[in-house]
Parts: sequence; structure tokens; C-alpha cells
Amino acid sequence: MTIRTRMTLWYAGVLLVSILAITVLSLNEFHERHRTLRSQRGMKEIVEIVLWIGIPAVLLSVGGGWWLMRKALAPLAALTRAAECINERNLTEPLPRTGNGDELDRLTEVLNRVTARLHDSFTRIREFTLHASHELKTPLTILCGETETALRDESLPPAQREHCASQLEELRRLTRIVDGLTLLAKADAGLIRLALAPVRLDELVRDTFDDAQILALSSRIRVVLAACEETVVNGDSHRLRQLLLNLVDNAVKYNQPSGSITLALRRADGAAEFSIANTGPGIPRESLPRVFDRFFRGDSAHSSDVEGCGLGLSIAQWIASAHNGTIRIESAPSELTTVIVRLPLPQENRIA
Amino acid sequence: MRVLVVEDERKTASFIRKALQAEGFAVDVCHNGQDALIAASATPFDGIVLDIMLPGRDGLSVLRQWRERSNATPVLLLSARGEVNERVEGLNTGADDYLPKPFALAELVARVRALTRRGGEAKSPVLRVANLTLDTLTRRAQRGDADIELTAREYRLLEFLMRSAGRLCGRMMILEKVWDYDFDPGTNLVDVYIRRLREKIDADFEPKLLHTARGVGYVLKDQP
Repeated sequence: MTIRTRMTLWYAGVLLVSILAITVLSLNEFHERHRTLRSQRGMKEIVEIVLWIGIPAVLLSVGGGWWLMRKALAPLAALTRAAECINERNLTEPLPRTGNGDELDRLTEVLNRVTARLHDSFTRIREFTLHASHELKTPLTILCGETETALRDESLPPAQREHCASQLEELRRLTRIVDGLTLLAKADAGLIRLALAPVRLDELVRDTFDDAQILALSSRIRVVLAACEETVVNGDSHRLRQLLLNLVDNAVKYNQPSGSITLALRRADGAAEFSIANTGPGIPRESLPRVFDRFFRGDSAHSSDVEGCGLGLSIAQWIASAHNGTIRIESAPSELTTVIVRLPLPQENRIA
Repeated sequence: MRVLVVEDERKTASFIRKALQAEGFAVDVCHNGQDALIAASATPFDGIVLDIMLPGRDGLSVLRQWRERSNATPVLLLSARGEVNERVEGLNTGADDYLPKPFALAELVARVRALTRRGGEAKSPVLRVANLTLDTLTRRAQRGDADIELTAREYRLLEFLMRSAGRLCGRMMILEKVWDYDFDPGTNLVDVYIRRLREKIDADFEPKLLHTARGVGYVLKDQP
């Protein structure tokens, strides 16, 4: 029950009780004065007065009360709506204050201070990630460079060469993780501008299809291009390539030998819809909401020898949302796993 | 060929110098922007490797001053910031290439080589390594007398490797030139394509031409 309904009911109850009390008292008074007359007509009149004036008066008061409550609580409802819209991106926008210093205004001020502190914490975490990834780059550069220098030495014994090469591969993996973290930290801080231009998405999908066939070759996975409708979106072609390749790479890595991958690009409801389905082991329902989380790796990924940086889907999600698009995943154990990306089509292309 | 390396991080500067010297370059090293300006005005260099983040005067402002003084020496920018727009800003300021840190040393060497060679190389339409030929006009690849069927991507890969014949090609550079990727997709795409290409050009023939330098890159060359 909302405060408004509760208050209105109380108000109506109090009103009803007072009117009843007044009626009973006035009836008593009336009886005292007209005891001698004992007029039946007088009784009837009183009942009529109560019926025809009392009840509408009660109804009117209850209606008025409801309206008053509504008006009094409207700022609270507005505050609730405004507070509901708070998320990690708009923490700097304060909730609108009335400035009249009443209880609600003070509550708004407190809420604003809380979100400001939240914003500071978010900023500090972002800055920390950004600085950490920057700071890691200098030692990584040196480690990579010196290991490579060692590898270039022709006189290096084979065992040590193997050791150095293996170390270099791990260093490269670390580099990719740091690069991925830097990218996401910058994206969070809004530091990345996309180079937007009309992009033939169907051409990118065809290129990705070619790459997918090659990547899938060694595990004998069949790659199918089910549909590839001509589609132009307003986007950053490098980023979109990265998005498609990330998804294809996942579909190959988390597939089973002799499985299949189906790619499709279609236009539907003013959006370009790219879907990629694979015959992997599937994702348990409880893991689905977390697959786009950074460094989240499901049980299937832990148990198999899949090598990845754990940021691919987070990056894919960022790229989709940076293009005002969406990405979602549909899966269940031992069913097809499908990732669906929807990107808005430019206005003029929607009709055609 | 004389190259100037401007890098404040001494260990980094040291292995860059060693790697370039091993490739036959004469290398001078500066650790800050002011010294770099003085060095470049005193000596004509064939190429400059310039770190953006330098103490005092940053790399971009050094580069801007060179270009304002009509110093046209090719410049390869290095940066640890890896800002997406920094590459564009650097190239607009007059840099010839850009390499984000951490980089593969083979990439750096290959890029410096490309930089110092720029414009000087005659482009023959028929590329040749041993008895492997690639006609860039007819897009026909042959090993000896045998025709080799290539997909569009394999053709671009082979053309790139043949144009850099005898020199080590890093993965990033291959991704950039053959795939137009300016990011590391984190896949083994290049390795898989190389394997496919090797099956086509090397499997049934001797000598083997396409070699792997593990962890570093690939090289197409006549001798093992």
C-alpha cells in the first residue's frame, strides 16, 4: 500500500468518525428539544439531511483529501523516478532540488551527496585501472624487448631458446590482457571516440566468415553463412571488425570438434542483426547474466584448455553499446549457443 | 644508414639500439627532447625512433619543431599511452608511423627498415624468391612451373611476405598490412594463415621458403 492510499484511508476514517459523532450529538440535541412533539416527520428530515448532504460531503472530502495527498507527495514520486534513473554513467547529474528547504529537499540533498561519493569511488577505480595498465606497459616493453633480444642470439642453446620463446608467448598474452584492460578503462572513462562512417557490414561479415573458416579448419568445425543481406551501418569499421572477430574466435574456441558455426546478417525492425550460433557445450542458466563480465570464465572454459584473455566478450559488449546497439547471448547446456548483436540502421536506410 | 633513437627509459633505449645495430644500422641515442633537437640539427639521420612521453619536452612537440624547420627525416613514434586518437594526432603532426608499447622488437626493426627505405625501392611487378614467383599484375603465383591457387587473403599475405623477403615480419605488422587491423585480435589468425600458405607453397617443394621465428614472427627467404 502506498503512503498516499494509507493516508487517504486514515483521513477518510477520521472524517467518517467525526461526521458520525456530529450526527449522533446533533440527533441527541434534536431529541431533547422536540421530545414533546415526537414528530415522525422531524426524524425523517434528519435522516434525509444526513443522506443528501452528509454522504456527498464525506465523498467530496475523501476526494479532496486524496487530491491533497497526491499533491503533497508528488515531489516524492518525482524524486523516486529521478533516483531510479541513476546509474554509474550519470552519477554527476544531481537530482533536481526544489530549494525550499523542506524535508524532501533535504532528502534530495543527502541523496545527491551519496551519489557524488559513489561517483568519486567509481572514478578512482577507473583511474586506478587506467594508471595500473599504463604503469605495467613500461616493464612489459622491457621484458618483451629483452627476451626477444635473447632469442635473436644465434648461439643460444635450443633448450634455452625454447624457454625464452615460451616466456615471450606468455608476455604477449599478458600484453593482450593489459591492452584489453586499458581499452575498457578508457571506454569507461569516455575517452574513446569512434571514427564513425558508413560501413558495409555485410562485407565485414563476409571477411569474418573467411577468417572463421580458416580458424575452424584445424578442429574440423563447419562454418556456414546462412544469410548476409546488404547492410550499411554508421560505425567504426575497425571496432566492428574487432567485435565480429572476437565472437568468431569465441565460437571456435568454445566449440566441440566437428561441430558447426552458423553466421547470419539480417535486417529487422530498423536494425542490423548479426547472429552467430555454435555447437559448444552451452552455458548454464546461472552463468548467462555474467558472461559479459570482465574476466568471467564459465566452468567449461576452466575445464578445457581454452586460452583467452577473459575480456573478449566485455570488449564486444562495449563495441556494440558504443554503436548504440545491443548484444545478448542465448544458451543452455547441450543446446546451441547464440550471440546476437543488433546495431541500429541509419534513418534513411530503414525504409528500403 | 644512421638512426636516432629518442627514448628516456634507458633499458628500452638499450635493447632498441642493440636490435637496430644488429641489423646494420648506426644508432645514436638521446634520452630527452632537447638533446634530440640538438642531435638532429647536427647530424642528418635516415630515420628517427621517437618516444612520445619524454621528460620536459614531449615527443610530439619535438616532432612539430622538426617539421616546422622542414626537417623531413622519417619518424616512427612510440607510445605507452596507446590512445586511440594519438596515432591520428601523431600522423597529422608529421610522423610516418606509429607503434604502441609494448611492441615486438621485430616489429620495430621491420618498421624502421620500411621507413628508411621509403620511396627508394623500385617496384617490379614480378616478385621472386628462389623459384617462387608472384606476378602482381596477373595475380598469378607459381612455384617452379606449378601454379598455386590462392584466396584473396592468402594472396595479400604472400605479396606482403615476398615484398619483405629475407626480413623478419612481426605478427602485428602482418595484421596491419594484410588484414587492416590496428588492434591485436588475440587470435592465432596469422599463424593459421601462414600454415595454410606453407602447405601451398612449401609442402611439395624444396627448399622450404617460409620460416617461423618462434614468438617473433615469420620470414620468407631462400636459405634456411
